[in-house]
Amino acid sequence: MERVLETNNLCLGYNKDIYREISAFASRGEIIAVVGPNGIGKSTLLKSLSGIQSFRSGEILVDGKQISSYSHSRLAEKISFVPSQSPRARNLSLFDMVATGCYNRTNWLGQVGPQEREFVIGTLERVGLSGFENRDSSRLSDGEFQRATIARALVQESKIIFLDEPTAFLDIENKLTITKLLSDIAHEESRSVIFSTHDLQLAIRHCDRIWIMGRESFSHGTPEELIEKGAFDTMFKDSPLKFDRNLYTFV
Amino acid sequence: MKVKSGYIREYSVISAALGLLILLNLILGSVIIPPGEIFASLAGKSDLSFVNEILWDFRIPKAITALLAGVALSVCGLQMQTLFKNPLADPFILGISSGAGLGVALFVMGFSAFGISLTGSFALNLGVAASAWAGAFGVTLLILLVSSRLRDNTSLLIFGIMLGSVASALITLLQYFSSSSALKAFVVWTMGSFSGLTSAQIWIMSMLIVPGLILSVYNIKELNILLQGEAYAKSLGVNLEHTRRRILVATTLLAGSVTAFCGPIGFIGIAVPHIARMFFKNADHRVLIPATALLGAAIMVFTDTVAQLPGQSGVIPINTVSALIGVPIILIIILKSKFI
Repeated sequence: MERVLETNNLCLGYNKDIYREISAFASRGEIIAVVGPNGIGKSTLLKSLSGIQSFRSGEILVDGKQISSYSHSRLAEKISFVPSQSPRARNLSLFDMVATGCYNRTNWLGQVGPQEREFVIGTLERVGLSGFENRDSSRLSDGEFQRATIARALVQESKIIFLDEPTAFLDIENKLTITKLLSDIAHEESRSVIFSTHDLQLAIRHCDRIWIMGRESFSHGTPEELIEKGAFDTMFKDSPLKFDRNLYTFV
Repeated sequence: MKVKSGYIREYSVISAALGLLILLNLILGSVIIPPGEIFASLAGKSDLSFVNEILWDFRIPKAITALLAGVALSVCGLQMQTLFKNPLADPFILGISSGAGLGVALFVMGFSAFGISLTGSFALNLGVAASAWAGAFGVTLLILLVSSRLRDNTSLLIFGIMLGSVASALITLLQYFSSSSALKAFVVWTMGSFSGLTSAQIWIMSMLIVPGLILSVYNIKELNILLQGEAYAKSLGVNLEHTRRRILVATTLLAGSVTAFCGPIGFIGIAVPHIARMFFKNADHRVLIPATALLGAAIMVFTDTVAQLPGQSGVIPINTVSALIGVPIILIIILKSKFI
């Protein structure tokens, strides 16, 4: 399958290595979860891969080309990023919020044409927020707001979408809704969705592949392969936590 | 520029209020000129030479200056609040007024230290304006030089505030060693004033402010993105460094020029953007920029009118009035809408 993203011996960090030797890839139309303990560098990985942050060494290939060879706007056409906690702007309508995703296609004032308008409305419907266009985006519930940030990324029309802990702070029902939505987006629109999460059960059930940022080493593969290999146990090395193969969780 | 439909009523109400306030501003002063005389003089039909003189030589230039200053400071304050996601940010948060103050202090008190006394109010005024502008521009230049090394807007904010503190410390040092007459000249400058500007000075001021306003309108698209966070802006392909630079240049042109000619005028730059947000209930800068410009003009003209109220017994310093008007507004906003 077509590899839209590939990393070779990627080392993360700014002044010093935070995490070393990441070699992984993402194919078109697949959903990938990034798991690992707190503070291991999941956010840093996602930010480096989406070009928001620089990295120490190694390479990141987007559509077979070095990430550094892309201009700001060209990269934005390939990759979109949903931060873990987006600030909420008071009195910004949901439509205006999501329409900013069209940044690279709007005029100098940021006005959307009739075609883009249709597209934004359609995308809101896609994430289950139809009829909410004129609502104040800052007053949406956490689950609704998270879906709005996803809509914003979809409107950007990029092939690859990174999401930094999209299901954190959500209740179990919203966690499931968001994860399902993301997997639908990946499979139906053949985009690649890569998100970090602490929810192993959902990740194993709904994701095509998983990247594990373990304390000692990085591993990746389909959930089944990783369970077979016992790779999840590398996540919390030297801790009494053990991965339960039937419950898909640590006990 | 295109105004979003649905706000025509709000814009017309503010414009009408602005018109009335300008008229009131022209009427009141040491001598009260009835509206009939004002219209006659504006139409060039007044025979009363003293009315023509007061109106054309004093009140109209002063009203234009107040209007320009109001527009510039408010539009600038709005951009600072968005850039730093800080409701308390004002046009001077990056130390521009302290820089301008340092320029003026060096000029006014520096000359007195060398035993040179400045005579001729025109040379003094222009020298003060030029040195204030140089000070403001110097601060911006320093910030621009450093800004590419700063990782985010918070670092930029801290750097600006520190720079402002250094400038203030240097001003205090100069004050300590200066003569009392030079000290007074400096203190009077810090009180702010819209009067005494010649038409040439008003031209220079508008030549600096108009490009600043055009640049601000050009910043609208990025300002709307910045509302949603820097990480998101970066991922959209917004060049944050360019955006920051453009906003900084607009700030210097707007706030720097007002400070150069009118002194450091406080509170308007913080208060007006909040009033605009409260009035329009929309965070979109396509709505807010024209709204703050109009409201800023109206409120500044009103401030100047209040400053004239003592009539023949003199004029209250602008900064006193703007604080007395601005502070209650800020407090009401905080209490009523839990804004901050």
